[in-house]
Amino acid sequence: MAHSPAKERPICLNALVDLADRSVRYFETPPEIIRKFIGGRGLNMYYLYKFLNPGCDPLSPDNVLIIGNGLLTGMLVPNSGRHNVTCLSPESGIIGDSNIGGFFGPEMRFAGIDRLIIVGRAQSPVYLYIENGRIEIRDASPYWGLTCTGTQVKMKYDLGSDVEIECIGPAGENMVRFAATRYGLKNAAGRCGTGAVWGSKNLKAVVARGNAGLPVADPEGMLAKYMELRDYLNKSKVIGVMGRVGTPLLYDVSNYLGAIRTHNSQQTVFFNTLNAEEVHKYVDKMLSCYGCVVHCRHRNRLGGEGPEYTSEVMLGANIGVADTYQVIDLNNLVNDLGLDVSSTGTYIAWAVELFEKGYLDEKEAGYSLRFGDYPAMRRLISDIAYRRGFGDVLAEGSRLVEKFGAETAGFLIAVKGLPQSDPHDVRYLKGFALGIATASRGADHLRSRPTLEIFDLPSEVRREIYGGPIDPNPVSYNSKGRLVYFHENIYAAIDCLGICKFICHGFNSPRNLNYTHFRELVKLAYGLDFSEKELEDAGRRVIDLERLINHREKGISRKDDTLPARYFDEPMPSARAKGSRVDRQGFDKMLDEYYALRGWDANGTLPADRVAELNSLRDLP
Amino acid sequence: MPKKKQIYARPDLCAGCRICANACALVHRGEANPRLGAVRIRQNLIERYEFQEICRHCEDPPCVDACMTGCISKDPGTGLVIQDQSRCAGCWMCLMVCPYGAVGRDVIKEVAIKCDRCAGRKAPACVEACPTGALVLETREDAAEEPFFAEPTVAG
Repeated sequence: MAHSPAKERPICLNALVDLADRSVRYFETPPEIIRKFIGGRGLNMYYLYKFLNPGCDPLSPDNVLIIGNGLLTGMLVPNSGRHNVTCLSPESGIIGDSNIGGFFGPEMRFAGIDRLIIVGRAQSPVYLYIENGRIEIRDASPYWGLTCTGTQVKMKYDLGSDVEIECIGPAGENMVRFAATRYGLKNAAGRCGTGAVWGSKNLKAVVARGNAGLPVADPEGMLAKYMELRDYLNKSKVIGVMGRVGTPLLYDVSNYLGAIRTHNSQQTVFFNTLNAEEVHKYVDKMLSCYGCVVHCRHRNRLGGEGPEYTSEVMLGANIGVADTYQVIDLNNLVNDLGLDVSSTGTYIAWAVELFEKGYLDEKEAGYSLRFGDYPAMRRLISDIAYRRGFGDVLAEGSRLVEKFGAETAGFLIAVKGLPQSDPHDVRYLKGFALGIATASRGADHLRSRPTLEIFDLPSEVRREIYGGPIDPNPVSYNSKGRLVYFHENIYAAIDCLGICKFICHGFNSPRNLNYTHFRELVKLAYGLDFSEKELEDAGRRVIDLERLINHREKGISRKDDTLPARYFDEPMPSARAKGSRVDRQGFDKMLDEYYALRGWDANGTLPADRVAELNSLRDLP
Repeated sequence: MPKKKQIYARPDLCAGCRICANACALVHRGEANPRLGAVRIRQNLIERYEFQEICRHCEDPPCVDACMTGCISKDPGTGLVIQDQSRCAGCWMCLMVCPYGAVGRDVIKEVAIKCDRCAGRKAPACVEACPTGALVLETREDAAEEPFFAEPTVAG
């Protein structure tokens, strides 16, 4: 059944694709659910909760893979090119959810489908082709085995250069537990091993060609608003720098502080060869994602895109590689094979430390592992993606703690089974430490990243932003729960809307787009009025729901909202942050404050009435 | 006749965001989709290029000659090459003859999409919306060739 996208297009049209019996069912999301969960990450979580059978194996056909666009994705709204890929994570066993930019999300909406919900497993490799509101399940055997770039080159040759493709590489096909879903050369739904779930379903790619327009309630108003916001954002200093050099600007800052994760967080300062100006010698041009006014993506001279701050540290400082060329080369390789940069860098650094400490010998590893050994690192990355030799072992990710002994978890920089994404050593900034501990998908900075307290803001401005008093001292344990609570809520709302965090309130800047802007934009796009409170509540509801799913799947509670032992026990060794560590009592205090604000009990679980509310929403038709 | 202002593309400044095309579709059709704009960005991330495809409003427009229904004409007063979309038959001849790849198509309604340089507006929407200044509206005596991209360098 084809659905005509031109007539009376609903706000959110979903397609439930069963790869096992090759059926597709189309259905709309009711308006009352959109009001509660908005779209993007929120509705993805809603449908994950609705369709996922409790206790399923993430790599079994029962896992539900959801590719869902935000409410504003594709509109003429600054940086509105993002969507979320959601499933049960094969890496951590809890929710797997990853936000991705590029051009695929908008194209899928223009092709008439706002959300894909994929279940079952195809008998042989397939890809989905979406055009004019219709989904075809096609044979992908000619593309199986190709890298991410190779797949896209061949598909564009076969299908026309104007299609947009989201795909997996060899890592996803081989079900490496931290494989990424990729668009283009660099954009990735990298975290949580979403790519492995694609591989487990024999799904190589999703291709969209979008011919239909998204109706806009007030087109002239939207153009005027866009221009107003663009000019407002362009005044921001940090957005200007981001557009010139991208995220590597943070490297120098973190290094000065002495908080770069180096040699598996055994050290915290690294060479200045990875400073933004050094990286920039390898940059041809800065690029945008869909509708972006920032353009922070580098087209590098080694044939790829990047590196981001994250990749230059995770594939540089953390594994000891200092040469700029070599780091960019590793970044391109990891992207092409379809691995997650953060997890790959963390596991490799951990493996090197295991090797150094004697948990692992040369016989088992196949070759000696040393920090800074670029050829060995390059080889190991390929071995992981193709599951060769020791790479096959390391491809199992955080599950290896069981193999090497529980004490090795103390220096695996991961929370809830997911390695830390941010290259920032959180022992100094206590708000960051709480943020990665409570993040719903595991150790992740993009769930909260509370930075505003370190800016020199007047206390009444801080109070107004956060709705309560905030201690500006970044190393104190006071009021950090409120900080993380606020940031988690707004970031969840941003993910629901499909906007990039780089232009939003609270991410590196106290200005930029906030709930009021979101409200205006939703109104211009759909004529719907969501109040600021409704938007914030939706963000909060999403986090509640994620907690509920995590609790149901793996009993996630207070004991899991913690940090690797290294962050508690070992003080930072150098520079200005020297001597910092996270105090366990202070951490507990922050956690108490955070749970209280969320309305969760002291064990970090949802009260019964909230569970009942979420269940009643789930049970709606 | 004094020279009129023209839209000039500066591909070296284009970051590939498609905002110009989306703004065009929005003001002309009330819908968001860069594919439905009369200006489009042709980009290939792997081949490493992006540039704007935009109508030059040629002095001797091939699309006018090629149009079988006669729905494209050159306005002698304004110098604009204007299309009457209601009479377009969707034969795509204009697309085929345009040396700049500047005519788009709406494959659902089966009509060609052609720039009118926002005749009714103060400034063209694409120029207004471009965040990097890669589209400009100005008078140029002799249009200088715009650089596409820097010479590729072998690093290391």
